[in-house]
Formats: sequence, C-alpha cells, structure tokens
Amino acid sequence: MADQVAKEAAAPQALTPTAPAAPTAGAPRPSGTQISPVPLPRKAKQDRPPEEDPGIWRMNRRNVLSVAGWLGFFGFIVTSTIGALRFMFPRVLFEQPPKFKAGFPSDFVVGEVSEKFKEEKRVWIVREKGGFYALISICTHLGCTPRWLGSDNKFKCPCHGSGFYRTGINFEGPAPRPLERALITFTDDGQIEIDRSIKFIYEKGDWTKPGAFLPFQG
Amino acid sequence: MQQFFEILTKPDNLPIVFLLFSVIFFTWFAWTKAKKNDAQGYPVEATLDDKVQVWPYLVRVEFLATIAVMAVLVIWSITLDAPLEEPANRALTPNPSKAPWYFLGLQEMLVYFDPWIAGVVLPSLIIVGLMAIPYIDINPKGNGYYTFKERKFAVLVFSFGFLILWCLLIFIGTFLRGPGWNFFMPGEKWDPHFVAVLTNVDFSEMWPFNIATRMPDGSLNPAAFIFGAVCVFGFYSLGPLYWLRKRNTDFMKKLGLVRYAIVSFLFLTMMGLLVKILLRLIPTFLGMNPVKYVWVTPWFNV
Amino acid sequence: MLEAFKKTEVYKSIFRHSYQDTQRNRALQIVDNVFLHLHPVRVPRHATNIGYTWGMGGITFLLFLVLTITGIILMFYYRPTAQYAYEDMKYLMNDVPFGPLIRNMHRWAAHAMVLTVMLHMFRVFLTGSYKPPRQFNWVVGVILLVLTLLLSFSGYLLPWDQLAIWAVTVGTNMARATPLLGHEGPFGPELGMMPDNDVRFVLLGGTEVGPPTLLRFYVGHCIFLPIIAAIFMAVHFWRVRKDGGISGPETPKKT
Repeated sequence: MADQVAKEAAAPQALTPTAPAAPTAGAPRPSGTQISPVPLPRKAKQDRPPEEDPGIWRMNRRNVLSVAGWLGFFGFIVTSTIGALRFMFPRVLFEQPPKFKAGFPSDFVVGEVSEKFKEEKRVWIVREKGGFYALISICTHLGCTPRWLGSDNKFKCPCHGSGFYRTGINFEGPAPRPLERALITFTDDGQIEIDRSIKFIYEKGDWTKPGAFLPFQG
Repeated sequence: MQQFFEILTKPDNLPIVFLLFSVIFFTWFAWTKAKKNDAQGYPVEATLDDKVQVWPYLVRVEFLATIAVMAVLVIWSITLDAPLEEPANRALTPNPSKAPWYFLGLQEMLVYFDPWIAGVVLPSLIIVGLMAIPYIDINPKGNGYYTFKERKFAVLVFSFGFLILWCLLIFIGTFLRGPGWNFFMPGEKWDPHFVAVLTNVDFSEMWPFNIATRMPDGSLNPAAFIFGAVCVFGFYSLGPLYWLRKRNTDFMKKLGLVRYAIVSFLFLTMMGLLVKILLRLIPTFLGMNPVKYVWVTPWFNV
Repeated sequence: MLEAFKKTEVYKSIFRHSYQDTQRNRALQIVDNVFLHLHPVRVPRHATNIGYTWGMGGITFLLFLVLTITGIILMFYYRPTAQYAYEDMKYLMNDVPFGPLIRNMHRWAAHAMVLTVMLHMFRVFLTGSYKPPRQFNWVVGVILLVLTLLLSFSGYLLPWDQLAIWAVTVGTNMARATPLLGHEGPFGPELGMMPDNDVRFVLLGGTEVGPPTLLRFYVGHCIFLPIIAAIFMAVHFWRVRKDGGISGPETPKKT
C-alpha cells in the first residue's frame, strides 16, 4: 500500500496547476490508507507560467507595443552590426596604383623575363619573339612571390614549391592554377602600359583575348 | 647534421623541442596511469577523495608552480633573444617562409590539399569537431580519471589526431621542410637550389584507371569528373554502410542517427587526410608521379 | 612593532581575521580574499596532485597574466605604423634598459602559452573531464584555445620584419580561399567576391599585408582579443566551480 502511494508521489508530471491539490490531512480517505510520508511535489509558484499568458508572439491589442519594442531592439542590433562590418571596408585604399607605364619595347630583350617591376608592382614582363605579356608575380597557391629561375626556365615559389613554366602555366607543386596575366597595351607615345587591376585568367580562356598578349615585332 | 642542430636550436624553434619532449613525456605518463587504473579496476583518484583545505594545500602547489614557471621563463628570456629579422619587404619572399610554428601542421596540409580545404575547411572542422566531442561521446565511463580500457575508441582517435596529425606535422613542418618546402631528412643539407621533380597527376590518371582529367582542348573530361565524384562519395558512404550493418546494435540505438552521422563524418574526414597523404607518398616511393587531385571540378578540386 | 601593528584598526580592516592556524582561518583566508576566492575552501585530495592535473590550466592563466603585464610595458615603446614599428623594435632591443628582457619574455611566454593550452586540452580529454556535467566548459575551452592562437598570430605581425610579414601573408592568404566568402574560394567569384571586398580584406584592411594590416592586428592583439579572452576565461573558471569543481571519479570505490 505504501508502495502505491509512493508511486503516485513519483508522478509529478501529472500534476497541473488546475489538478486537485495534494491530499490533506482533513480530507476523507479510504480506511487503511496512510498519509504519504513523502509530501507530493508541487511546482514552486515561480516555476509556473503566469495564467493566461499568451506569449509575446500572440499578437493582440495588449502586447502590440511590446512586440514593436522588441522588433525595434533587434532591428537596431542588426543594423548596427551591419554598420560595424561596413566600417571595416574603407572607401579609399593607399596602395600602389594598378596602372603604370613600363617603358619602351626596346628596353626589353627578346626571350627574357624582366624582373624590373617585380618589387614595386609585382609584375613580370616577358618578352617573346612575337610580343609581350605581363604575369602577376603572386603565387596562385597562397600569394607568396615566386622567383624566376632563368637556368631552369621556370618560376618557383619558395613557400610551398609550386612551379610554373615561363608562360605561367603551373606544372608542379600545390598551386591549383596558372599565374594570372595583367592587361598590357601600348600608350599613344609607344610605351608599354600595364594595368594590374584587369586580370586574364587561363582557365576562363582569357589568355586568347586581346590585352593578355601584346603582339610586337622588332 | 650540423645544420640540423642549428635549426633545432634556433630560438624560435625551442618551443617545438619543448613540445616534442613534453608531449612524449605526458603521453607516456598518462598511459602508465591509465594502465595502472585499468589493472587494479578502480581509479587511483578514487582513493584520494578526502577533502583537504585549499589553504595551504592547493595554494602551496600553485605558488611553487608559479615560481618554477617564472624562473624558467626569466632564464629563457635572459639567455635567448627573440628573433628580429630584416625589415619587412613584400618583394622578397624568404625561402622557406613558414607560418608560426603552431600553424605548421596546417601549412603541411597545404602540400596535400588546396587552400580552401587545408586553410579554411579543415581548421573549421577541427574547431567544430572539438566542440562537438562532449555531445557525441555518450560513453559515461572514464569521467575524471585516466583510463584506456573503458574508452578505447575515443582515446585512440583523439591521440591520433593530436599526436600524429597535429604535433608530428608541426615537427615535420619545422625541422624537415626546407627551401621550396622540400622534404629534407635530418642531417641533409638545406640546399636552396635543390629541385624536386614534382610532376603531378590526378588520381583518375593513374594506373589502372588511365582516365585523363582534361580533354586535349583543355576542358574537363566528364569521365574523370564522374570517377572523382564516385571516389569521394564512395569514401564517405562508408559511414552509412557501416550504419546499415550495425544499426540494430544496442550501442548504435543509444548513439542515434544524428550523433552517428557527425561522428562518422568527422572520423572519415580525419582518415581522408591520411588517405590523401598516402596517395601522395606511396607513388613517390614507388617512383611514380604523386597524386595531386582525386576529384577535379570546375569550381573546386579535392 | 609588527605585533603592535597587527592590533591596529588598519591591519584588522585589511585582513579581517587572525593568522592562527585554525580550520576557520584557513577557510577565511580563501573566502575573504578576492583573488583566492576563485577557489573553493576545500578540494578533494587528488585535485592538489600535479600528477592528475598536470597544472597546465593554471600555468596557462599565469602566462596570460605575464603576457598582459609585459605587453602593456611594451606598448610604451611601440608605435603600430609601418614607418616606425621596425625602428621601435630595434630601439627596444638595443637601447631600452631591460627592453630585450621584456620582449623576450613576451614572446617566449606566448609560445609557452600555446603549448600549455594544448597540453591542458590533452589532459582534460584523457581524464574524460568534458563529460557531463562539464560539456559546455569544454566548448568554452575550445573557444579559448582558438583565441590563444589568434592572439599569438596577431602578435606575430607586430615586429614588422620579414618573419612577421611572411608568416602573416601565408596565414591570411588562406582566407582568400574561404568558400563563398573569399575571392578565390569555391563559389566565391560567383558571389561577386573580389580582392577588395572579401573576408580577407576585413582582416588586412587592404588587398595585401600593409600598414592598415599592422594597425588592425595591433588593435586586435592589444585590445579586442584580450578582452574577449578575459570574458571567456571568467566564464571558464566560473563554470569549473559551478560544474562541481575539478573533475574526479564519480563514486569512490575503496577496497
């Protein structure tokens, strides 16, 4: 019998705030039952939700201001987060201008890779028999500056060992794709002009487009 | 050999020497403790559960540890100067150029994977995977004492990840990777003009598959694309297959599908690293060309 | 003299209890002290055993304090601009009394902290201390590990020498390859990512490691990351106490 009472006591989930309260000493009860030595657990007052609480997402006349307040609060948080992010993207950068004049074609020797602008502009100018092209000297793997190894006729990146042919095509090491080429044109006064901001990417078939290669005889 | 000692004793490399010794020591130490606990059937710590007062017993230990650490630190700082090299110059890449030592495991991964995997996806998975550990390890045993017997899988996987994939790769990246990120054995001279012949092939191009990745006109070969996809998805389908075989065991039922999916994904990814490394290394030892990619797609390569 | 001082109101107002070696005074020593009351009054004996804890968490905290102090001292002589940073380092190493010592301590303590954090994690895993009820504290610990690495990495750039700039170049270039958010990552270009608007740009403040990067890393290293780390450390220590103190076997099985 006592077991049964204990079992009842062990089922507090069945108790809802509207359920009858635990038996009290004064209530009539069948003969032979004992009052449970374990007091039946009741939810503490502060653990019960307030009666008839519709929750804030149930819109009605009473909480429209509350909902508007919360919307405004989160709206402010989101807007200021976006603003803070935007703050980290300045409008003006103090970096090297991407466009520069590289000199006259006669300054370059046929078959040579010029490292003249590597330090300042990070560009190699390659003079072939049929013309010029400009390779951007940033390894496509992780952005180190490769070295031109004339004796091996290749570019080799010191960071992770990527190797590129003089055309810029990758053939060894971890680089995922060829070096990029920059726009190369003649100015009106016959100088070579390079614009690093316009890139020609091999996998997209850009290298056959005008500007990736500057035909020049002489 | 002399050069190896020079690299070993470079001030910035000292932490890795510390790392090496402390990790080996602590692994051995934890192992003996776990062995002892497993052998006697109850943890030693359980016999030391009587309460002692923090003052003086714990504060004393902390005080002594503080003095010891400060002494080591001061002596270390007096004897070894932190390096200061030439001023920054963006046009001159030092050879080899290395990330800070604790990222060298990841940098080593860059040899085997494209940057988006090695540099972004893997670190994120490591962080998320570490955070997930308490929620996917449902084994209630081994809480609060050293043991191996009661949680073999957890200890083995974590130790493999920490000791091999993290510490060993840091060691390799620091001491055995020389100019051009070439591999040099201890004692070999770091020759900056050493040229390793690294002509890469893709997995589909290897014997016996012989499927060219690219068509003669440079476009992607669909057969190679499908082959790669089958390899990658086939590898990850080991997880679901194992589930289908074992799903009715008590353990799997307790683990649940969601937990299992996370565990198997993380575990297979970890093993995938190993597979890719072996795909690179084994052909090299056999005198063949190492594998570069398993799966080439127009957007990314694996 | 000392005895007389001990009787004054000043002394009593500071210490509030006598130093007689009693249980009560030992407890008060912990409870009444703002620094020590991080501790419980009493701990299980195995918690004082270095063989069990390896002491790595405490050493990490100590190293964090050392780094904070030496870092603040270094800030007196360091200007985070590309023009001055390297010169200030040279000045610090050659002409400032105890300058090399402070800088060395800062650097070696940073290395050591990364090491101790890793060993602390290894120990916590091997003793299964992340198991209920301490799951969340492990998560906080992982966040602290990441913050430690970020702190160390951002500090790496500040000397502005070849080592610094190339380590950071290699490190941050991985961000270019972030899927979706980097201009060379999978599906990044398709979403309109360019070198000047992707996730790497936020880190560098430019399209390459340059003067704005130095400033960003400096602010992150000296203010932003330490504050975040301090907040998470507070949570970490608090949770160690709230989750039942240091881990240990559940039910003592004495033979």
